[in-house]
Amino acid sequence: MAQALINEGALGRNRRVKRLGRLCLWLNPLVAYFFLWAPILVLVLFSFNQSKSVASFTGFTLKWYSNILNNVVGAESAFSTELMLNAFRNSLFVGAIATAIATVLGTMIALSMARGSFPGKRLLDGLLFLPVVIPEITQAISLAIFFKVAFDWIHLLSGERVFPGFHTIIMAHVTFNISYVAIVVRARLADMDPTLEEAASDLGANPWQTFWRVTFPLILPGVIAGALLAFTLSLDDFVITFFTSGVGTTTLPVFVYGLLKLTVTPEVNAISTIMMLLSTFLIGISLALQGRGASRS
Amino acid sequence: MTAFDVELIDIVKDFDSGGGRVRAVDHVNVQIADGEFFALLGPSGCGKTTTLRLIAGFEQPSSGRVLIRGRAMEGIPAYHRPVNTVFQDYALFPHLTVEQNIMFGLQMEGVDKKEAQKRALESLEQVRLPGVGRRRPHQLSGGQQQRVALARALVKQPAVLLLDEPLGALDLKLRKNMQVELKALQRDVGITFIYVTHDQEEAITMADRIAVMNQGEMLQVGGPKEIYERPGTHFVADFIGETNFVDGTLVERDADGFGRVKLMNDAVIRAQLSHTLAASDGPVLVAIRPERITISPANAEPAERGTTSLPAKLVDSQYIGTDTRYILRIGETIELVARLQNLDDRPKAIFAVGQAVTVRWSDASTTVLDH
Repeated sequence: MAQALINEGALGRNRRVKRLGRLCLWLNPLVAYFFLWAPILVLVLFSFNQSKSVASFTGFTLKWYSNILNNVVGAESAFSTELMLNAFRNSLFVGAIATAIATVLGTMIALSMARGSFPGKRLLDGLLFLPVVIPEITQAISLAIFFKVAFDWIHLLSGERVFPGFHTIIMAHVTFNISYVAIVVRARLADMDPTLEEAASDLGANPWQTFWRVTFPLILPGVIAGALLAFTLSLDDFVITFFTSGVGTTTLPVFVYGLLKLTVTPEVNAISTIMMLLSTFLIGISLALQGRGASRS
Repeated sequence: MTAFDVELIDIVKDFDSGGGRVRAVDHVNVQIADGEFFALLGPSGCGKTTTLRLIAGFEQPSSGRVLIRGRAMEGIPAYHRPVNTVFQDYALFPHLTVEQNIMFGLQMEGVDKKEAQKRALESLEQVRLPGVGRRRPHQLSGGQQQRVALARALVKQPAVLLLDEPLGALDLKLRKNMQVELKALQRDVGITFIYVTHDQEEAITMADRIAVMNQGEMLQVGGPKEIYERPGTHFVADFIGETNFVDGTLVERDADGFGRVKLMNDAVIRAQLSHTLAASDGPVLVAIRPERITISPANAEPAERGTTSLPAKLVDSQYIGTDTRYILRIGETIELVARLQNLDDRPKAIFAVGQAVTVRWSDASTTVLDH
């Protein structure tokens, strides 16, 4: 009878399985995080390495960081602070303008998707995710071809010759940023209680007043989060920028790539580390804003 | 100028739903007087909230007309209508303070900030919630938020205040208190209240008149007493309070508003006919409220005129606090519930289960309804 009540063998086996499961649950994130962070860790580590070679770590130094700010012209290392700062300025310029345009357009799309009803809404909904999922290189090449064709037409019709430059990079960045902004703002709008807009209308606010006094303040965290995300993506983008840039429009990632073509200098490691910190910081704020939005309503 | 604050004239509202059309409001006609406390009562999905939204201007009728203070509301958006709404989940603006919430509607009218502030404070006093003006809505309890929502709507001094199950989210005790307070407030301000609820007790205690709705139709409109005592349909009698329904056959319609109904056990009783009774003979339902049935010993003296008296058997009794419910059987098939109040001078159990008794009720407290 006792055996029928409690099966000791099965109970012990269950305990062992449970212990193994717990161990795996603990190991799993460690392995995953190792894959995620090991390469980056190496990069950060060697940005502080005294030796130029990545063969071994010979000691701690901030030399490469100071090199970024002080021109180094030598046989073994050549780094132009002026060119780098110029590239950085270009990045900020492209990022700011592309972000501003993408934020306005993305927010407008999100609003029409959440509140409007029009034919093809579901199709547009699906298409919105396209820039997020298609390979960047595909988008880059398609944009490059599109600009080429467009410029040829302009030449044909008006006789004006147009060349790629900041305008093409900015337009290209806007195209992929719109999706990210729209997705973030839409999530925020989905969180928002639509009766709040009815309440505003009930209290005498016309649609314009309702938008600016109720809807917009409530989605603002989402809009800012979307803008920060867009700005970060814009700062970090290499592939699309590379394919749509013209003369004198080198952005920071393109500049870094240029350095790599010569030789892997430790300054690259240092710049990359700084860029990573900046991006992480911006994305962190963006995520915090998105999280705050969700928990408040 | 009519005396009515709100008139609904043959209102129909259809919604598209996945290819089909759903009729949410079905030819509703009603006139609501100035200063009236009017309840729209019905189960969820009966169209009561849609009716309210049609008056508020959040929905447009498919056909029919809404008049507010005699003025046709066709093409007039919600923000230009002289009505304000207390929403079910309050819909307070989370990014504004309580005071700013209340000032919102005034500022939309162009009232200057100082004046708006003053009136917001007065309004908070009126709903007995002073001193919370600087707080955010989420820092308040449900009951307090409810008061803020009320203050925000009342401060606009609307012609009509629309309330969409405003007490639905509160617990029972608070709800009872708020019922009394709301009614007193309505008497004070003299504004017409249109009050949506699925709680029949709430409607009966608060409203001057009640409209019972089901499946988009307004089945009956009347005072609480009329709705309770003279239900016009099976649904109304069933939805409001507890009712016994006894199957029978109408054998004769008298001229005095009464008729003779033959029950399943072949007994013929005299019962009052509903105003809306269509049948002149054939199957009907006799509705009798449990508290109108009295129980006497089996050998009780003969009934007086105008009273029905039938032999029955006590099947079960349930003590439910204020009352005791007695389950009675007449003949083989007719089951009735009687409710007797547990007055302190009455012995706990007068009748024993299984005992033969006599049940009685006044003929005037029955209603004969269409089957």
